[in-house]
Amino acid sequence: MIMLKKDLITRHPLGIQGDETDIISNGEFGAVLSRAGVGKTALLVQLALNTMLRNRNVLHISLNDPVDKITLWYKELFNHLAQDHTVEEANQLWEFLLPHRFIMTFRVAGFSVPRLKERMADLTGQNIFHPDMVIIDGLKFDESTRECLADLKKFADEQSFHAWFSMHIHRDEEILKEGIPSPLPDVEDLFDVALQLQPEKTDIRIKPLKGPSEIISDLSHLTLDASSMLIK
Amino acid sequence: MDDRKVRNIGISAHIDSGKTTLTERILFYTKRIHAIHDVKGKDGVGATMDSMELEKERGITIASAATFCEWKEHEINIIDTPGHVDFTVEVERSLRVLDGAVLVLCSVGGVQSQSITVDQQMKRYKVPCIAFINKCDRSGANPSHVIDQLRLKLGHNALAIQIPIGLENNFQGVIDLISMKAVYFDGENGEDIRIEKIPDALTQEAIAKREELIDAASMFSDELTEAILEEKEIPEELIINALRIGTLARKITPVLIGSAYKNKGVQPLLDAVNQLLPCPSEMKNEALDMENDEKTVILSSRSEDPAVALAFKLEDGPYGQLTYIRVYQGSIAKGSTIVNARTGKKVKVGRVVRMHADQMEDMEAIPAGYIGALFGIDCASGDTFASPGIALTMSSMFVADPVISLSISPVDNQSQVNMSKALNRFTKEDPTFKTYVDDETKETIIEGMGELHLEVYVERMRREYGAEVETGNPRVAYRETITRKAEFNYTHKKQSGGSGQYGRVAGYMEPVTEAEFEFDNKITGGVIPTQFIPACEKGFRACMSKGPRMEFPVTGIRVVINDGASHSVDSSEMAFQAAARGAFLEAYAKARAVIHEPIMKVVVETPTEFQGSAMGLLNQRRGMIVGAQDDGPMCVIEAQVPLAEMFGFSTVLRSATQGQAQFTMEFALYKLVPQSIAEDLAEKMAKKKKGI
Repeated sequence: MIMLKKDLITRHPLGIQGDETDIISNGEFGAVLSRAGVGKTALLVQLALNTMLRNRNVLHISLNDPVDKITLWYKELFNHLAQDHTVEEANQLWEFLLPHRFIMTFRVAGFSVPRLKERMADLTGQNIFHPDMVIIDGLKFDESTRECLADLKKFADEQSFHAWFSMHIHRDEEILKEGIPSPLPDVEDLFDVALQLQPEKTDIRIKPLKGPSEIISDLSHLTLDASSMLIK
Repeated sequence: MDDRKVRNIGISAHIDSGKTTLTERILFYTKRIHAIHDVKGKDGVGATMDSMELEKERGITIASAATFCEWKEHEINIIDTPGHVDFTVEVERSLRVLDGAVLVLCSVGGVQSQSITVDQQMKRYKVPCIAFINKCDRSGANPSHVIDQLRLKLGHNALAIQIPIGLENNFQGVIDLISMKAVYFDGENGEDIRIEKIPDALTQEAIAKREELIDAASMFSDELTEAILEEKEIPEELIINALRIGTLARKITPVLIGSAYKNKGVQPLLDAVNQLLPCPSEMKNEALDMENDEKTVILSSRSEDPAVALAFKLEDGPYGQLTYIRVYQGSIAKGSTIVNARTGKKVKVGRVVRMHADQMEDMEAIPAGYIGALFGIDCASGDTFASPGIALTMSSMFVADPVISLSISPVDNQSQVNMSKALNRFTKEDPTFKTYVDDETKETIIEGMGELHLEVYVERMRREYGAEVETGNPRVAYRETITRKAEFNYTHKKQSGGSGQYGRVAGYMEPVTEAEFEFDNKITGGVIPTQFIPACEKGFRACMSKGPRMEFPVTGIRVVINDGASHSVDSSEMAFQAAARGAFLEAYAKARAVIHEPIMKVVVETPTEFQGSAMGLLNQRRGMIVGAQDDGPMCVIEAQVPLAEMFGFSTVLRSATQGQAQFTMEFALYKLVPQSIAEDLAEKMAKKKKGI
């Protein structure tokens, strides 16, 4: 089983930086930007799977989709991944991965940092789950988000996790500030890495907008396969 | 017959919100019964709908009898749905039969956790509903609070179409906001309706509420919007039509109020059933095409088309088995021939009747959209009947394997006889309930989908069939399987004196996930003669029922034989069977066998403040929490928990959440038992063996 995992990690395109490091470290934020329906969730779930493969815990928070749907995302992408890398006994590996994931969904209006803290306290207090990585998918970025993000950042520092966000680029607001699409410029200082997904002829290009130079060069040759949504 | 004048409705509610009393009053006002009894009646007669003894005694309704009545030229079939969540098969089956529902709520208790479950089931089957806030005469009655709860807890767009005149002791009648009239209920049983002007004190409130109502209804009707804009008198019909459109789309839930016990508000509720709930042809009904991979097919609801009907309830009557059916398409007439989709058997329809709890009325045919009963048809409930040549089924043929078993033994001879009768009946009614006799212990074992599922049947055996039984501890259906390929090469030989036995089989076994057992014959050159191959398979298969490791059934094994030997005189079927058994044991010992246990998908619904404690409970039970869904004041936790850890969970959950959380549980998958638990099991098994 350990061999299996190792195999999948090293062969996984995100495993480029060696086994044990994440793209961003604790307390840091990453963002995945794109227009609707390009593949933000698919990329986030693969970041999560990659983290889970390294025995680290992922808390996936979705403000749009019900638990069932997110479970399906994971299952689908895992199956594709396992097929692509011809992993035998994929079922067993999946069973080993599952305990590393916790899904939480909120209604968009019901989500707030105090609320999240309360939920997290339920989990960590009873030793049910300690996240190393938090994914927040579907947060709306507007004037009030800054405060929320700043709170989260503090919380992430305290609890030592890093967080990835999906950021929806609105078609009408695709005003570029020095090549960076809205709404990123307003909160740019809070994010350490930002990746934009851009549909091209056959595939979807992952275009790093921000980050340490070695990560930018590592990631800049990656694309998402348009049919399987896998990172290539 | 005109199906626009037909209503198939369910009355759905929490226990003790007065559902059966309400049904009773409906039957009285529609002149189906001529006296009123109470649920827990002092006169010992009991309400008419509860026809089972157990229900009478406890004041709850388990089986869903269908009753027919008429109100203002409309034919109303009332399906009395169980109010208890644990009888899920029956609830779901009866929900399929309904076109609309009346959600009964207690004006004091409001929306309780079980109302939530029932409501979710209705949501799943897209049943339009109207709400009736009952018991407005009780102290603490607060209908507007209940309406708020309907909105907040259940997410209904609840719209009052009545307001009360007085409440609690002083509850006198209702104001109809559509006609803007006060309605009073006179006479000994409230049968005389007196319509008057709205009392002055309530005029203002009524006007305000009416505006709210019309405003909300106008979303569904342009005509109504125009009428509002033109500021002229709005015809009642316009409001009703708009409300009806909204209700059918499940976009609004009209709310009525009353007190069934005090005979108030029941007739307006019947009017609302006629006016606001759908007729059969307005609802979309789906069937599965058995010849096409169970693809869904929409049924036509025309009586001329080939018939499709669902048997949703069986009852043992004095004249034999009575089968309640709902016809979805075509019609089922006396003397016609229909086919049972499950068994493929052709049946000739004898008597066709319409039921009123315990009495009946003969009919010529049951047309599409109607509910009736057939006599003398042998079937199980949930079976689909269709015209010959139609391969449609109303419910999937897939039935999950039971996950829990319980041994039962009758206390005396009479109970023994009655128990057999009861078991025979239950297995017909419920495909997930099974029974067999254990070869070794000679005990009767019943199997089902959960602890409560079995308890209910044991209780019903006692009450309805007078079979007193003692039950053993519930047992989880563990399984054994292998995790790696292993080879065998076994010779069975007995050649000392008399006719000998000789057979050798060689090959390998390996794990498979798709099948329980596969057998592959790769013998070449006839080293094992063809006539003995079935005997080999039989020998291997025989080993599957009781695993060598812990005597649990074995699953997921593929056996391949590729070599062997025979003897011209001493080889026989017996010999090869024995050789196969030996080979199985030989390979199994090397194949690293493991124990699998059933894992249940457990969904807990709890007010958000108890989310933490509910998760804690699941976690303690080796549960893996998949996710938590925050839904305003309520949240839903989904987890996978081993069935073995779920015994008594309902009690623990209730006490940890002040009774406000509830859960559902269904079988999800089989999973490897952790090492420590497997050791415990082995120890128990060893003890049991010593005990014998």
